[in-house]
Amino acid sequence: MHRKPIRLQTRESLSLALSAPAVIWFTGFMILPLISMFYLSFTDWGSLVSKQNFVGLAQYQKVLSDPIFWAAFQNTAFQVAVAVPVMTFAGLMLAYYLNLRPRGVNLLRVLFFTPALMSISAKSMLFLGVFSTDGLLNFGLRSFNLESWTTTWLANEGTALNSIIAIDIWSGIGFTAVLLAVRLSGIPQDIFEAAEIDGAGHWRKIWNISYPVMKDYFGGLFMLQFLWTASNSAALVLLLTSGGPGTSTYTLSYLAFSKAFLQQSVGYSQVAAVSLFLFGVIGMLVIRRIFRSVV
Amino acid sequence: MSNSSVRQGLSKKSASPLLGSFLKTLSHLSVWIYAAALALPIYYVVISSMKTNQEIFLSPASLPKNWSLANYSLAWEAASLGDGLINSSIVVLFSLAINLALAIPAAFAIARSENRLSRALSGLFAAGFLIPPFAALVATVLLSIWLELFHTKLFLILYYPAMTMPLAVLLLTQYMRSIPKELAESAKIDGASQLQILVHIYIPLSRPAIVSVVVVNFINLWNEYLFALILAGPKVSNQTVQVALPTLTGVYTSDYGLLAAGTVISLVPVYLVYAILQRRLEGALAAGAVKG
Repeated sequence: MHRKPIRLQTRESLSLALSAPAVIWFTGFMILPLISMFYLSFTDWGSLVSKQNFVGLAQYQKVLSDPIFWAAFQNTAFQVAVAVPVMTFAGLMLAYYLNLRPRGVNLLRVLFFTPALMSISAKSMLFLGVFSTDGLLNFGLRSFNLESWTTTWLANEGTALNSIIAIDIWSGIGFTAVLLAVRLSGIPQDIFEAAEIDGAGHWRKIWNISYPVMKDYFGGLFMLQFLWTASNSAALVLLLTSGGPGTSTYTLSYLAFSKAFLQQSVGYSQVAAVSLFLFGVIGMLVIRRIFRSVV
Repeated sequence: MSNSSVRQGLSKKSASPLLGSFLKTLSHLSVWIYAAALALPIYYVVISSMKTNQEIFLSPASLPKNWSLANYSLAWEAASLGDGLINSSIVVLFSLAINLALAIPAAFAIARSENRLSRALSGLFAAGFLIPPFAALVATVLLSIWLELFHTKLFLILYYPAMTMPLAVLLLTQYMRSIPKELAESAKIDGASQLQILVHIYIPLSRPAIVSVVVVNFINLWNEYLFALILAGPKVSNQTVQVALPTLTGVYTSDYGLLAAGTVISLVPVYLVYAILQRRLEGALAAGAVKG
Protein backbone atom coordinates (compact mmCIF):
# COMPACT_ATOMS: atom_id res chain seq x y z
CA MET A 1 0.00 0.00 0.00
CA HIS A 2 2.83 2.35 0.81
CA ARG A 3 4.67 1.59 -2.34
CA LYS A 4 1.97 2.36 -4.79
CA PRO A 5 1.91 6.16 -4.73
CA ILE A 6 5.70 6.24 -4.95
CA ARG A 7 5.71 3.95 -7.94
CA LEU A 8 3.05 6.01 -9.61
CA GLN A 9 5.13 9.11 -9.14
CA THR A 10 8.24 7.65 -10.65
CA ARG A 11 6.15 6.37 -13.49
CA GLU A 12 4.77 9.79 -14.02
CA SER A 13 8.11 11.53 -14.09
CA LEU A 14 9.45 8.74 -16.24
CA SER A 15 6.77 9.32 -18.78
CA LEU A 16 7.33 13.06 -18.60
CA ALA A 17 10.91 12.31 -19.60
CA LEU A 18 9.48 11.46 -23.00
CA SER A 19 8.98 15.16 -23.49
CA ALA A 20 12.63 15.97 -22.80
CA PRO A 21 13.89 15.71 -26.39
CA ALA A 22 11.19 18.10 -27.62
CA VAL A 23 11.87 20.55 -24.81
CA ILE A 24 15.62 20.46 -25.35
CA TRP A 25 15.22 20.88 -29.10
CA PHE A 26 12.81 23.75 -28.70
CA THR A 27 14.98 25.45 -26.10
CA GLY A 28 18.13 25.07 -28.15
CA PHE A 29 16.78 26.35 -31.41
CA MET A 30 14.15 28.85 -30.27
CA ILE A 31 14.60 30.04 -26.70
CA LEU A 32 18.40 30.40 -26.65
CA PRO A 33 18.51 32.51 -29.83
CA LEU A 34 15.77 34.66 -28.36
CA ILE A 35 17.80 35.22 -25.21
CA SER A 36 20.96 36.00 -27.14
CA MET A 37 19.02 38.57 -29.12
CA PHE A 38 18.75 40.59 -25.91
CA TYR A 39 22.46 40.22 -25.27
CA LEU A 40 23.39 41.21 -28.81
CA SER A 41 21.32 44.36 -28.57
CA PHE A 42 23.79 45.60 -25.95
CA THR A 43 26.75 45.24 -28.30
CA ASP A 44 28.20 47.43 -31.03
CA TRP A 45 28.56 44.52 -33.41
CA GLY A 46 28.96 45.49 -37.06
CA SER A 47 29.09 42.79 -39.70
CA LEU A 48 28.64 39.15 -38.79
CA VAL A 49 32.37 38.47 -39.21
CA SER A 50 33.69 41.40 -37.17
CA LYS A 51 34.32 41.53 -33.43
CA GLN A 52 31.73 42.65 -30.94
CA ASN A 53 32.04 44.82 -27.84
CA PHE A 54 29.59 45.09 -25.01
CA VAL A 55 28.48 48.70 -24.96
CA GLY A 56 25.42 48.46 -22.74
CA LEU A 57 22.72 50.98 -23.38
CA ALA A 58 24.89 53.03 -25.72
CA GLN A 59 23.56 51.04 -28.67
CA TYR A 60 20.00 51.81 -27.60
CA GLN A 61 20.86 55.47 -27.31
CA LYS A 62 22.25 55.45 -30.81
CA VAL A 63 19.25 53.66 -32.29
CA LEU A 64 16.63 55.64 -30.43
CA SER A 65 18.08 58.89 -31.74
CA ASP A 66 17.97 57.63 -35.32
CA PRO A 67 14.99 59.03 -37.26
CA ILE A 68 14.83 55.90 -39.43
CA PHE A 69 14.05 53.84 -36.33
CA TRP A 70 11.13 56.09 -35.49
CA ALA A 71 9.91 56.08 -39.06
CA ALA A 72 9.96 52.28 -38.95
CA PHE A 73 8.21 52.26 -35.60
CA GLN A 74 5.51 54.58 -36.86
CA ASN A 75 5.01 52.56 -40.03
CA THR A 76 4.68 49.33 -38.06
CA ALA A 77 2.18 50.89 -35.67
CA PHE A 78 0.20 52.28 -38.59
CA GLN A 79 0.35 48.99 -40.47
CA VAL A 80 -1.05 46.88 -37.64
CA ALA A 81 -3.55 49.53 -36.54
CA VAL A 82 -5.10 49.55 -40.01
CA ALA A 83 -4.62 46.01 -41.26
CA VAL A 84 -5.48 43.91 -38.22
CA PRO A 85 -8.88 45.37 -37.25
CA VAL A 86 -9.97 45.52 -40.88
CA MET A 87 -9.06 41.93 -41.67
CA THR A 88 -10.46 40.47 -38.47
CA PHE A 89 -13.76 42.34 -38.31
CA ALA A 90 -14.41 42.01 -42.03
CA GLY A 91 -13.43 38.36 -41.61
CA LEU A 92 -16.01 37.96 -38.87
CA MET A 93 -18.79 39.37 -41.03
CA LEU A 94 -17.75 37.17 -43.93
CA ALA A 95 -17.64 34.14 -41.64
CA TYR A 96 -21.22 34.86 -40.64
CA TYR A 97 -22.11 35.18 -44.29
CA LEU A 98 -20.49 31.82 -45.11
CA ASN A 99 -22.32 30.22 -42.23
CA LEU A 100 -25.66 31.21 -43.81
CA ARG A 101 -24.71 28.86 -46.65
CA PRO A 102 -25.58 31.32 -49.42
CA ARG A 103 -25.43 30.41 -53.08
CA GLY A 104 -21.86 29.78 -54.21
CA VAL A 105 -20.64 29.10 -50.69
CA ASN A 106 -18.19 26.41 -51.77
CA LEU A 107 -16.63 28.62 -54.40
CA LEU A 108 -16.35 31.44 -51.87
CA ARG A 109 -14.66 29.18 -49.34
CA VAL A 110 -12.06 28.10 -51.85
CA LEU A 111 -11.43 31.66 -52.99
CA PHE A 112 -11.18 32.99 -49.45
CA PHE A 113 -8.68 30.35 -48.57
CA THR A 114 -6.37 30.71 -51.55
CA PRO A 115 -4.19 33.51 -50.13
CA ALA A 116 -3.48 31.41 -47.06
CA LEU A 117 -1.79 28.86 -49.29
CA MET A 118 0.54 31.39 -50.86
CA SER A 119 4.03 31.97 -49.64
CA ILE A 120 5.20 35.51 -49.13
CA SER A 121 7.45 35.21 -52.14
CA ALA A 122 4.59 34.05 -54.37
CA LYS A 123 2.36 36.82 -53.04
CA SER A 124 5.06 39.36 -53.69
CA MET A 125 5.58 38.19 -57.26
CA LEU A 126 1.83 38.30 -57.81
CA PHE A 127 1.56 41.85 -56.58
CA LEU A 128 4.64 43.06 -58.40
CA GLY A 129 2.51 42.52 -61.48
CA VAL A 130 -0.65 43.93 -60.02
CA PHE A 131 0.97 47.14 -58.78
CA SER A 132 3.41 47.78 -61.63
CA THR A 133 3.07 50.77 -63.96
CA ASP A 134 1.33 48.75 -66.64
CA GLY A 135 -0.08 46.26 -64.22
CA LEU A 136 -3.55 45.03 -63.43
CA LEU A 137 -4.54 47.78 -61.02
CA ASN A 138 -3.62 50.67 -63.29
CA PHE A 139 -5.25 48.88 -66.20
CA GLY A 140 -8.43 48.54 -64.17
CA LEU A 141 -8.39 52.22 -63.24
CA ARG A 142 -7.83 53.24 -66.85
CA SER A 143 -10.70 51.17 -68.06
CA PHE A 144 -12.94 53.02 -65.57
CA ASN A 145 -11.58 56.31 -66.91
CA LEU A 146 -9.68 56.99 -63.72
CA GLU A 147 -6.38 57.69 -65.43
CA SER A 148 -5.59 60.38 -62.85
CA TRP A 149 -5.63 57.78 -60.06
CA THR A 150 -3.00 55.61 -61.66
CA THR A 151 0.46 55.68 -60.14
CA THR A 152 3.51 53.53 -59.63
CA TRP A 153 2.03 52.09 -56.47
CA LEU A 154 5.17 50.63 -54.94
CA ALA A 155 7.49 53.47 -55.96
CA ASN A 156 5.35 56.34 -54.79
CA GLU A 157 6.04 57.56 -51.28
CA GLY A 158 2.37 58.23 -50.68
CA THR A 159 1.11 54.81 -51.72
CA ALA A 160 3.89 52.28 -51.09
CA LEU A 161 3.10 51.49 -47.44
CA ASN A 162 -0.63 51.47 -48.14
CA SER A 163 -0.05 49.01 -50.97
CA ILE A 164 1.73 46.66 -48.60
CA ILE A 165 -1.06 47.04 -46.05
CA ALA A 166 -3.54 46.29 -48.83
CA ILE A 167 -1.77 42.98 -49.47
CA ASP A 168 -2.04 42.12 -45.77
CA ILE A 169 -5.73 42.90 -45.80
CA TRP A 170 -6.29 41.16 -49.13
CA SER A 171 -4.98 37.89 -47.79
CA GLY A 172 -5.97 38.35 -44.15
CA ILE A 173 -9.72 38.80 -44.56
CA GLY A 174 -10.32 35.53 -46.35
CA PHE A 175 -8.12 33.47 -44.07
CA THR A 176 -9.75 34.90 -40.95
CA ALA A 177 -13.19 34.37 -42.47
CA VAL A 178 -12.59 30.68 -43.18
CA LEU A 179 -11.20 30.01 -39.70
CA LEU A 180 -14.06 31.83 -38.01
CA ALA A 181 -16.61 30.11 -40.25
CA VAL A 182 -15.33 26.69 -39.19
CA ARG A 183 -15.68 27.81 -35.60
CA LEU A 184 -19.10 29.33 -36.16
CA SER A 185 -20.48 26.19 -37.75
CA GLY A 186 -19.46 24.34 -34.61
CA ILE A 187 -21.76 26.29 -32.30
CA PRO A 188 -25.41 25.21 -31.90
CA GLN A 189 -27.30 26.86 -34.71
CA ASP A 190 -30.57 27.05 -32.77
CA ILE A 191 -29.43 30.17 -30.92
CA PHE A 192 -29.59 31.92 -34.28
CA GLU A 193 -33.08 30.58 -34.85
CA ALA A 194 -34.13 31.71 -31.38
CA ALA A 195 -32.74 35.16 -32.05
CA GLU A 196 -34.57 35.27 -35.32
CA ILE A 197 -37.85 34.57 -33.56
CA ASP A 198 -37.03 37.46 -31.26
CA GLY A 199 -36.72 39.60 -34.31
CA ALA A 200 -32.97 39.92 -34.60
CA GLY A 201 -31.69 40.80 -38.07
CA HIS A 202 -28.36 39.75 -39.52
CA TRP A 203 -26.54 42.72 -38.08
CA ARG A 204 -27.61 41.88 -34.55
CA LYS A 205 -26.94 38.20 -35.10
CA ILE A 206 -23.37 39.06 -36.03
CA TRP A 207 -22.62 41.43 -33.19
CA ASN A 208 -24.90 40.20 -30.41
CA ILE A 209 -24.54 36.47 -30.97
CA SER A 210 -21.71 35.36 -33.24
CA TYR A 211 -19.22 37.78 -31.80
CA PRO A 212 -19.80 37.17 -28.08
CA VAL A 213 -19.99 33.41 -28.58
CA MET A 214 -16.59 33.35 -30.26
CA LYS A 215 -15.04 36.24 -28.40
CA ASP A 216 -12.09 34.33 -26.94
CA TYR A 217 -11.33 32.63 -30.20
CA PHE A 218 -11.73 35.88 -32.08
CA GLY A 219 -9.43 37.62 -29.61
CA GLY A 220 -6.81 34.92 -30.05
CA LEU A 221 -7.00 35.21 -33.80
CA PHE A 222 -6.77 38.98 -33.53
CA MET A 223 -3.55 38.60 -31.52
CA LEU A 224 -2.03 36.17 -33.99
CA GLN A 225 -2.87 38.37 -36.95
CA PHE A 226 -1.29 41.23 -35.06
CA LEU A 227 1.91 39.25 -34.50
CA TRP A 228 2.01 37.87 -38.04
CA THR A 229 1.39 41.23 -39.66
CA ALA A 230 4.08 42.93 -37.61
CA SER A 231 6.74 40.28 -38.06
CA ASN A 232 6.00 39.09 -41.61
CA SER A 233 6.37 42.53 -43.08
CA ALA A 234 10.16 42.05 -43.33
CA ALA A 235 9.87 39.59 -46.20
CA LEU A 236 7.12 41.48 -47.98
CA VAL A 237 9.00 44.78 -47.78
CA LEU A 238 12.27 43.12 -48.79
CA LEU A 239 10.72 41.67 -51.93
CA LEU A 240 8.53 44.60 -52.93
CA THR A 241 10.08 47.92 -51.91
CA SER A 242 13.29 47.37 -49.91
CA GLY A 243 12.04 49.98 -47.47
CA GLY A 244 11.72 52.71 -50.05
CA PRO A 245 10.96 55.07 -51.51
CA GLY A 246 12.88 57.00 -48.87
CA THR A 247 12.03 55.36 -45.60
CA SER A 248 8.33 55.18 -46.35
CA THR A 249 8.04 51.39 -46.10
CA TYR A 250 10.62 50.71 -43.41
CA THR A 251 8.96 48.62 -40.72
CA LEU A 252 10.55 47.43 -37.49
CA SER A 253 10.97 43.92 -38.79
CA TYR A 254 12.42 45.06 -42.09
CA LEU A 255 14.76 47.40 -40.22
CA ALA A 256 15.97 44.51 -38.05
CA PHE A 257 16.51 42.46 -41.18
CA SER A 258 18.23 45.04 -43.31
CA LYS A 259 20.55 46.32 -40.58
CA ALA A 260 21.81 42.80 -39.96
CA PHE A 261 22.04 41.41 -43.46
CA LEU A 262 22.28 44.36 -45.81
CA GLN A 263 23.92 47.13 -43.78
CA GLN A 264 26.35 45.31 -41.49
CA SER A 265 25.17 46.61 -38.15
CA VAL A 266 24.12 43.63 -36.12
CA GLY A 267 23.94 45.53 -32.84
CA TYR A 268 21.55 48.08 -34.31
CA SER A 269 19.52 45.29 -35.87
CA GLN A 270 19.11 43.58 -32.53
CA VAL A 271 17.85 46.75 -30.89
CA ALA A 272 15.22 46.88 -33.62
CA ALA A 273 14.44 43.20 -33.05
CA VAL A 274 14.08 43.72 -29.30
CA SER A 275 11.82 46.70 -30.00
CA LEU A 276 9.70 44.57 -32.30
CA PHE A 277 9.54 41.86 -29.67
CA LEU A 278 8.48 44.31 -26.96
CA PHE A 279 6.04 45.95 -29.36
CA GLY A 280 4.53 42.48 -29.87
CA VAL A 281 4.33 41.66 -26.16
CA ILE A 282 2.86 45.02 -25.19
CA GLY A 283 0.49 44.91 -28.13
CA MET A 284 -0.76 41.49 -27.07
CA LEU A 285 -1.31 42.60 -23.50
CA VAL A 286 -3.25 45.63 -24.71
CA ILE A 287 -5.34 43.53 -27.07
CA ARG A 288 -6.10 41.05 -24.31
CA ARG A 289 -7.11 43.86 -22.01
CA ILE A 290 -9.44 45.32 -24.59
CA PHE A 291 -11.11 42.01 -25.36
CA ARG A 292 -11.54 41.25 -21.66
CA SER A 293 -13.07 44.58 -20.74
CA VAL A 294 -15.28 45.24 -23.74
CA VAL A 295 -18.39 43.09 -23.68
CA MET B 1 -39.21 30.22 -43.26
CA SER B 2 -41.73 32.80 -44.43
CA ASN B 3 -43.03 33.12 -40.91
CA SER B 4 -39.69 34.10 -39.46
CA SER B 5 -38.96 36.52 -42.24
CA VAL B 6 -42.32 38.17 -41.62
CA ARG B 7 -41.44 38.53 -37.96
CA GLN B 8 -38.09 39.88 -38.89
CA GLY B 9 -39.71 42.41 -41.16
CA LEU B 10 -42.19 43.40 -38.45
CA SER B 11 -39.55 43.90 -35.82
CA LYS B 12 -37.65 46.42 -37.84
CA LYS B 13 -40.49 48.90 -38.09
CA SER B 14 -38.24 51.78 -38.98
CA ALA B 15 -36.51 50.02 -41.86
CA SER B 16 -38.51 50.07 -45.03
CA PRO B 17 -38.56 46.84 -47.01
CA LEU B 18 -36.90 48.69 -49.86
CA LEU B 19 -33.98 49.71 -47.68
CA GLY B 20 -33.79 46.17 -46.32
CA SER B 21 -33.48 44.60 -49.71
CA PHE B 22 -31.06 47.29 -50.75
CA LEU B 23 -28.82 46.44 -47.80
CA LYS B 24 -29.14 42.77 -48.59
CA THR B 25 -28.06 43.31 -52.17
CA LEU B 26 -25.26 45.53 -50.98
CA SER B 27 -23.88 42.90 -48.64
CA HIS B 28 -24.07 40.15 -51.26
CA LEU B 29 -22.38 42.52 -53.64
CA SER B 30 -19.53 43.41 -51.30
CA VAL B 31 -18.82 39.76 -50.59
CA TRP B 32 -18.56 39.03 -54.28
CA ILE B 33 -16.45 42.12 -54.89
CA TYR B 34 -13.97 40.81 -52.37
CA ALA B 35 -14.14 37.38 -54.00
CA ALA B 36 -13.38 39.01 -57.33
CA ALA B 37 -10.51 40.91 -55.76
CA LEU B 38 -9.07 37.56 -54.71
CA ALA B 39 -9.69 35.87 -58.02
CA LEU B 40 -8.48 38.61 -60.35
CA PRO B 41 -4.80 38.71 -59.38
CA ILE B 42 -4.70 34.92 -59.60
CA TYR B 43 -6.39 35.00 -63.00
CA TYR B 44 -3.93 37.71 -64.00
CA VAL B 45 -0.87 35.72 -62.99
CA VAL B 46 -2.10 32.57 -64.72
CA ILE B 47 -2.94 34.23 -68.04
CA SER B 48 0.19 36.39 -67.95
CA SER B 49 2.30 33.29 -67.57
CA MET B 50 1.17 32.16 -70.99
CA LYS B 51 1.53 35.47 -72.83
CA THR B 52 4.36 37.39 -74.38
CA ASN B 53 5.41 40.56 -72.61
CA GLN B 54 3.99 42.67 -75.36
CA GLU B 55 0.61 41.05 -74.87
CA ILE B 56 0.74 41.52 -71.11
CA PHE B 57 1.54 45.17 -71.69
CA LEU B 58 -1.09 45.84 -74.34
CA SER B 59 -4.04 43.80 -73.13
CA PRO B 60 -3.45 42.79 -69.52
CA ALA B 61 -6.87 41.36 -68.82
CA SER B 62 -7.60 39.31 -71.90
CA LEU B 63 -6.83 35.68 -72.52
CA PRO B 64 -3.63 34.90 -74.39
CA LYS B 65 -3.94 34.85 -78.16
CA ASN B 66 -1.49 32.00 -78.49
CA TRP B 67 -1.33 29.87 -75.40
CA SER B 68 2.35 29.35 -74.90
CA LEU B 69 4.29 27.45 -72.28
CA ALA B 70 7.59 29.04 -73.27
CA ASN B 71 7.67 31.15 -70.10
CA TYR B 72 7.41 28.01 -68.02
CA SER B 73 10.46 26.32 -69.44
CA LEU B 74 12.38 29.61 -69.30
CA ALA B 75 11.45 30.25 -65.67
CA TRP B 76 12.20 26.65 -64.79
CA GLU B 77 15.72 27.08 -66.19
CA ALA B 78 16.42 30.65 -65.08
CA ALA B 79 15.51 30.17 -61.42
CA SER B 80 16.53 26.51 -61.20
CA LEU B 81 13.03 25.77 -59.98
CA GLY B 82 13.58 22.05 -60.39
CA ASP B 83 16.39 22.13 -57.84
CA GLY B 84 14.26 24.41 -55.70
CA LEU B 85 11.38 21.97 -55.65
CA ILE B 86 13.67 19.09 -54.78
CA ASN B 87 15.40 21.05 -52.02
CA SER B 88 12.06 22.17 -50.60
CA SER B 89 10.79 18.61 -50.63
CA ILE B 90 13.87 17.28 -48.86
CA VAL B 91 13.87 20.00 -46.22
CA VAL B 92 10.15 19.83 -45.53
CA LEU B 93 9.96 16.05 -45.47
CA PHE B 94 12.79 15.58 -42.99
CA SER B 95 11.60 18.49 -40.87
CA LEU B 96 8.12 17.04 -40.63
CA ALA B 97 9.52 13.64 -39.64
CA ILE B 98 11.75 15.07 -36.91
CA ASN B 99 8.95 17.29 -35.71
CA LEU B 100 6.58 14.34 -35.28
CA ALA B 101 9.24 12.14 -33.71
CA LEU B 102 9.76 14.78 -31.03
CA ALA B 103 6.26 16.18 -30.64
CA ILE B 104 4.30 12.93 -30.36
CA PRO B 105 6.13 11.55 -27.29
CA ALA B 106 6.13 15.02 -25.74
CA ALA B 107 2.40 15.46 -26.22
CA PHE B 108 1.82 11.94 -24.90
CA ALA B 109 3.80 12.71 -21.77
CA ILE B 110 2.15 16.06 -21.17
CA ALA B 111 -1.35 14.78 -21.84
CA ARG B 112 -0.98 11.81 -19.51
CA SER B 113 0.31 13.52 -16.41
CA GLU B 114 -1.36 16.25 -14.46
CA ASN B 115 1.27 17.75 -12.24
CA ARG B 116 2.90 21.12 -12.07
CA LEU B 117 5.72 20.16 -14.38
CA SER B 118 3.44 19.05 -17.18
CA ARG B 119 1.44 22.25 -16.86
CA ALA B 120 4.66 24.24 -17.02
CA LEU B 121 5.69 22.36 -20.15
CA SER B 122 2.45 23.01 -21.95
CA GLY B 123 2.78 26.63 -20.82
CA LEU B 124 6.23 26.76 -22.40
CA PHE B 125 4.89 25.62 -25.76
CA ALA B 126 1.85 27.87 -25.52
CA ALA B 127 4.16 30.83 -24.94
CA GLY B 128 6.39 29.65 -27.76
CA PHE B 129 3.41 29.81 -30.03
CA LEU B 130 3.25 33.54 -29.45
CA ILE B 131 6.93 34.23 -30.09
CA PRO B 132 7.42 35.28 -33.68
CA PRO B 133 10.61 33.39 -34.61
CA PHE B 134 11.59 36.24 -36.86
CA ALA B 135 12.84 38.33 -33.94
CA ALA B 136 15.61 35.82 -33.28
CA LEU B 137 16.76 35.41 -36.90
CA VAL B 138 20.20 36.91 -36.36
CA ALA B 139 20.84 34.86 -33.25
CA THR B 140 19.73 31.78 -35.17
CA VAL B 141 22.31 32.58 -37.82
CA LEU B 142 24.95 32.70 -35.09
CA LEU B 143 23.79 29.33 -33.82
CA SER B 144 24.14 27.87 -37.30
CA ILE B 145 27.63 29.33 -37.66
CA TRP B 146 28.59 27.94 -34.27
CA LEU B 147 27.33 24.51 -35.31
CA GLU B 148 29.25 24.92 -38.58
CA LEU B 149 26.00 24.46 -40.45
CA PHE B 150 25.57 27.95 -41.90
CA HIS B 151 24.39 27.84 -45.52
CA THR B 152 23.35 24.21 -45.41
CA LYS B 153 20.03 22.47 -45.85
CA LEU B 154 20.80 20.45 -42.75
CA PHE B 155 20.46 23.42 -40.46
CA LEU B 156 17.01 24.19 -41.85
CA ILE B 157 16.08 20.55 -41.32
CA LEU B 158 17.10 20.86 -37.68
CA TYR B 159 15.64 24.31 -37.15
CA TYR B 160 12.20 23.91 -38.74
CA PRO B 161 11.04 21.18 -36.33
CA ALA B 162 11.69 23.57 -33.45
CA MET B 163 9.84 26.37 -35.21
CA THR B 164 6.78 24.16 -35.67
CA MET B 165 7.03 22.47 -32.29
CA PRO B 166 4.56 24.62 -30.31
CA LEU B 167 1.71 24.08 -32.75
CA ALA B 168 2.39 20.35 -32.99
CA VAL B 169 2.67 19.77 -29.25
CA LEU B 170 -0.39 21.89 -28.45
CA LEU B 171 -2.62 20.26 -31.05
CA LEU B 172 -1.52 16.75 -30.17
CA THR B 173 -1.75 17.29 -26.41
CA GLN B 174 -5.23 18.67 -26.77
CA TYR B 175 -6.29 15.66 -28.79
CA MET B 176 -4.58 13.08 -26.60
CA ARG B 177 -6.26 14.49 -23.50
CA SER B 178 -9.57 13.40 -24.99
CA ILE B 179 -8.47 9.75 -25.18
CA PRO B 180 -10.05 7.88 -22.23
CA LYS B 181 -7.47 7.13 -19.54
CA GLU B 182 -9.08 3.73 -18.88
CA LEU B 183 -7.64 2.40 -22.13
CA ALA B 184 -4.12 3.02 -20.93
CA GLU B 185 -4.92 1.79 -17.41
CA SER B 186 -6.19 -1.56 -18.60
CA ALA B 187 -3.21 -1.95 -20.91
CA LYS B 188 -0.94 -1.18 -17.98
CA ILE B 189 -2.61 -3.91 -15.94
CA ASP B 190 -1.90 -6.28 -18.80
CA GLY B 191 1.74 -5.37 -18.42
CA ALA B 192 2.18 -2.90 -21.26
CA SER B 193 5.01 -0.40 -20.96
CA GLN B 194 4.63 3.34 -21.50
CA LEU B 195 6.20 3.01 -24.91
CA GLN B 196 3.81 0.22 -25.88
CA ILE B 197 0.86 2.28 -24.70
CA LEU B 198 2.09 5.17 -26.84
CA VAL B 199 2.70 3.08 -29.94
CA HIS B 200 -0.30 0.75 -29.78
CA ILE B 201 -2.99 2.95 -28.27
CA TYR B 202 -2.23 6.65 -28.45
CA ILE B 203 -0.64 6.94 -31.87
CA PRO B 204 -3.35 5.00 -33.74
CA LEU B 205 -6.12 6.88 -31.93
CA SER B 206 -4.49 10.26 -32.57
CA ARG B 207 -4.25 9.77 -36.30
CA PRO B 208 -6.61 12.65 -37.17
CA ALA B 209 -4.60 15.08 -35.05
CA ILE B 210 -1.32 13.82 -36.48
CA VAL B 211 -2.60 14.34 -40.01
CA SER B 212 -3.71 17.86 -39.06
CA VAL B 213 -0.27 18.67 -37.68
CA VAL B 214 1.44 17.34 -40.78
CA VAL B 215 -0.79 19.30 -43.12
CA VAL B 216 -0.55 22.62 -41.29
CA ASN B 217 3.19 22.29 -40.83
CA PHE B 218 3.63 21.28 -44.43
CA ILE B 219 1.99 24.49 -45.63
CA ASN B 220 3.90 26.66 -43.17
CA LEU B 221 7.27 25.12 -43.92
CA TRP B 222 6.81 24.83 -47.65
CA ASN B 223 5.99 28.53 -47.76
CA GLU B 224 8.66 29.73 -45.32
CA TYR B 225 10.88 32.35 -46.91
CA LEU B 226 13.18 34.45 -44.71
CA PHE B 227 14.88 31.70 -42.72
CA ALA B 228 15.38 29.64 -45.85
CA LEU B 229 16.86 32.68 -47.58
CA ILE B 230 19.33 33.52 -44.83
CA LEU B 231 20.15 30.15 -43.32
CA ALA B 232 20.38 27.96 -46.40
CA GLY B 233 21.86 30.70 -48.51
CA PRO B 234 21.87 31.55 -52.19
CA LYS B 235 23.54 28.44 -53.61
CA VAL B 236 21.35 26.59 -56.09
CA SER B 237 22.04 23.32 -54.31
CA ASN B 238 20.50 24.70 -51.09
CA GLN B 239 17.82 27.06 -52.35
CA THR B 240 14.23 26.17 -51.56
CA VAL B 241 11.65 26.97 -54.20
CA GLN B 242 10.47 30.05 -52.26
CA VAL B 243 14.00 31.45 -52.31
CA ALA B 244 14.53 30.53 -55.95
CA LEU B 245 11.35 32.19 -57.20
CA PRO B 246 12.20 35.83 -56.38
CA THR B 247 15.63 35.49 -58.02
CA LEU B 248 13.67 35.89 -61.26
CA THR B 249 13.08 39.55 -60.43
CA GLY B 250 16.79 40.27 -60.28
CA VAL B 251 17.58 38.90 -63.70
CA TYR B 252 14.41 39.75 -65.58
CA THR B 253 12.99 42.83 -63.95
CA SER B 254 10.56 43.70 -66.68
CA ASP B 255 9.66 40.20 -67.79
CA TYR B 256 6.41 39.64 -65.95
CA GLY B 257 5.41 36.61 -68.03
CA LEU B 258 8.44 34.77 -66.77
CA LEU B 259 7.80 35.84 -63.20
CA ALA B 260 4.18 34.76 -63.49
CA ALA B 261 5.13 31.34 -64.80
CA GLY B 262 7.57 30.84 -61.94
CA THR B 263 4.92 31.89 -59.46
CA VAL B 264 2.43 29.38 -60.84
CA ILE B 265 5.00 26.59 -60.65
CA SER B 266 5.75 27.42 -57.02
CA LEU B 267 2.05 27.37 -56.13
CA VAL B 268 1.17 24.02 -57.66
CA PRO B 269 2.33 21.67 -54.85
CA VAL B 270 0.47 23.51 -52.10
CA TYR B 271 -2.71 23.81 -54.13
CA LEU B 272 -2.57 20.11 -54.90
CA VAL B 273 -2.41 19.30 -51.21
CA TYR B 274 -5.27 21.70 -50.60
CA ALA B 275 -7.39 20.15 -53.34
CA ILE B 276 -6.97 16.73 -51.76
CA LEU B 277 -7.42 17.76 -48.15
CA GLN B 278 -9.60 20.86 -48.24
CA ARG B 279 -11.98 20.20 -45.37
CA ARG B 280 -9.39 18.65 -43.11
CA LEU B 281 -7.02 21.53 -43.70
CA GLU B 282 -9.54 24.19 -42.80
CA GLY B 283 -10.57 22.33 -39.67
CA ALA B 284 -6.95 21.76 -38.69
CA LEU B 285 -6.06 25.39 -39.14
CA ALA B 286 -9.09 26.50 -37.22
CA ALA B 287 -8.16 24.25 -34.35
CA GLY B 288 -4.47 24.94 -34.53
CA ALA B 289 -4.17 28.59 -35.39
CA VAL B 290 -5.65 29.48 -32.07
CA LYS B 291 -5.63 26.95 -29.33
CA GLY B 292 -8.76 26.28 -27.32
